[in-house]
Amino acid sequence: MLREQFPGLQVKVHGKPLVYLDNAATAQRPQVVLDAINNYYLYNNANIHRGVHSLSESATELYEQARESLAKLINAPSAKDLVFVRGCTEGVNLVAQTFVRNRVKAGDEILISHLEHHSNIVPWQILCEQTGAILKVIPMNDQGELVLDDLDQLLNEKTKFMSVVHVSNALGTINPVKTMIQAAHDKGVPVLVDGAQAMPHIKVDVQDLDCDFYTVSGHKMYGPTGSGVLYGKAEHLNAMPPYHGGGEMISKVTFESSIYNAVPAKFEAGTPNIAGGIGLGAAAEFMLSVGLDKIAQRDQALRVYAEQALLKVPGLRLIGTAQNKSPVFSFVIEGIHAHDIGTIIDHHGVAIRTGHHCTMPIFQYFGLAGSCRASFAFYNTEKEADVLVESLLKAKAMFE
Amino acid sequence: MSDLNKLYKETILEHNRNPRNYGKPETWTHEAEGLNAVCGDLVHVYLTIEAGLLKQINYAGESCAISMASASMMTEFSQGMTVSQWQHHFDLFKQLMDKSGQVDSFPELGPVNTLATVKKFPSRIKSATLCWYALAAAINGEATATTE
Repeated sequence: MLREQFPGLQVKVHGKPLVYLDNAATAQRPQVVLDAINNYYLYNNANIHRGVHSLSESATELYEQARESLAKLINAPSAKDLVFVRGCTEGVNLVAQTFVRNRVKAGDEILISHLEHHSNIVPWQILCEQTGAILKVIPMNDQGELVLDDLDQLLNEKTKFMSVVHVSNALGTINPVKTMIQAAHDKGVPVLVDGAQAMPHIKVDVQDLDCDFYTVSGHKMYGPTGSGVLYGKAEHLNAMPPYHGGGEMISKVTFESSIYNAVPAKFEAGTPNIAGGIGLGAAAEFMLSVGLDKIAQRDQALRVYAEQALLKVPGLRLIGTAQNKSPVFSFVIEGIHAHDIGTIIDHHGVAIRTGHHCTMPIFQYFGLAGSCRASFAFYNTEKEADVLVESLLKAKAMFE
Repeated sequence: MSDLNKLYKETILEHNRNPRNYGKPETWTHEAEGLNAVCGDLVHVYLTIEAGLLKQINYAGESCAISMASASMMTEFSQGMTVSQWQHHFDLFKQLMDKSGQVDSFPELGPVNTLATVKKFPSRIKSATLCWYALAAAINGEATATTE
């Protein structure tokens, strides 16, 4: 039973079995990931890419094996195309500052979408402040789907880069990124895809997507916090200047100048999150062993069941009803503030997120300060969806 | 009855159904906005100080039930106090709501003591205290307050 491999799901909250529906904030981690982290600290603890001693070699091997596992997970042409980062936020900032910044001047445009997480908005606003470039936004409709009718106009001769989210963390919308990338490439515009919420749910193939960059956050895909990878096409990564200066990212240093190391070391200054990288590799292997297709199928079954269950709650309104979405449900209940719902159902063991989910522009569109968000992972059950619904009905009863 | 039921049934919902001093008044002498941007609580406090007394206090905003009930309770409790009396009670309130504090009741705080139950839900303390900090800001001539 897959669920039993996640120790974090076995805890009790207020004496009730935990119903963990906050996976879009961070997922639980399987025992194999925890074991991989422990195995490094207990038996292979050494710095990597440095010593000649045995421990350093075995630690380096574990770390580089993890990179291979991640390359396999997203079908990257080579593990060298993957840079270890702290998460998607760092990945987006890295690309903004080392790939895009040199390519834009005042009046140029960067294109994002209305569905972006703050982490795929603010780095571009910083870039715009630095360069005088202008941020443009692909609009959204009432279902929480991107409106792509005018994409060809939004992608004009001034557009220098497009950065879009694969799956919305707030609404669950799965964007047709392959089509969008094709449209951007037709105009010569390179594209970054923020895959934080896609990787845990759907099969990602960076070669099939043909994206220029793809970011993955470890802790959303059952791996450790503070881990992640940025995939970039080799031609881009090789041409980009370093992001941070320090050890490991150089091949020669004198006081006059330094020669930078080859990719991906060029972007990995300093001692990295070694245990995190190794744990993330274990998470990738875990997902591959479960099967990405199986995870996607299970998610869709949960999505259908949970949606029907939630709609039984009188006064509940789903925010975001895209045709193609992952099992993430934003909702409001008439007459009860999201925070009150969150506190009350926590007492029934149900963990959800409340607020704006780091996507304020989405909630500005809907005229809301925020919502409740129940986000499922493949290890959740139909019974847990029922417990959620029962707890919401109890919250409603309390307010009557 | 669980702490949760006690909190909502006995305290919060009564003020939610019958909010005291809710809405923007026609005139006021002091005002401030309390905003917890991360969680989304927003409460605007309007105050009229006359001859050193907190003569009229109103509030408006969009927040959770805990935040709105606390504001309702605060206006009812604080009206008619001198500024220095209110500062004294505000100091007691801060001690009451201190999650590492030992005190769960001050005789001087009367009905406000029921808010101490919120300490059982530590992530919600900031909702309960927001309006009080907003009123303190209004008195001090500051435009905004936050408890995040």
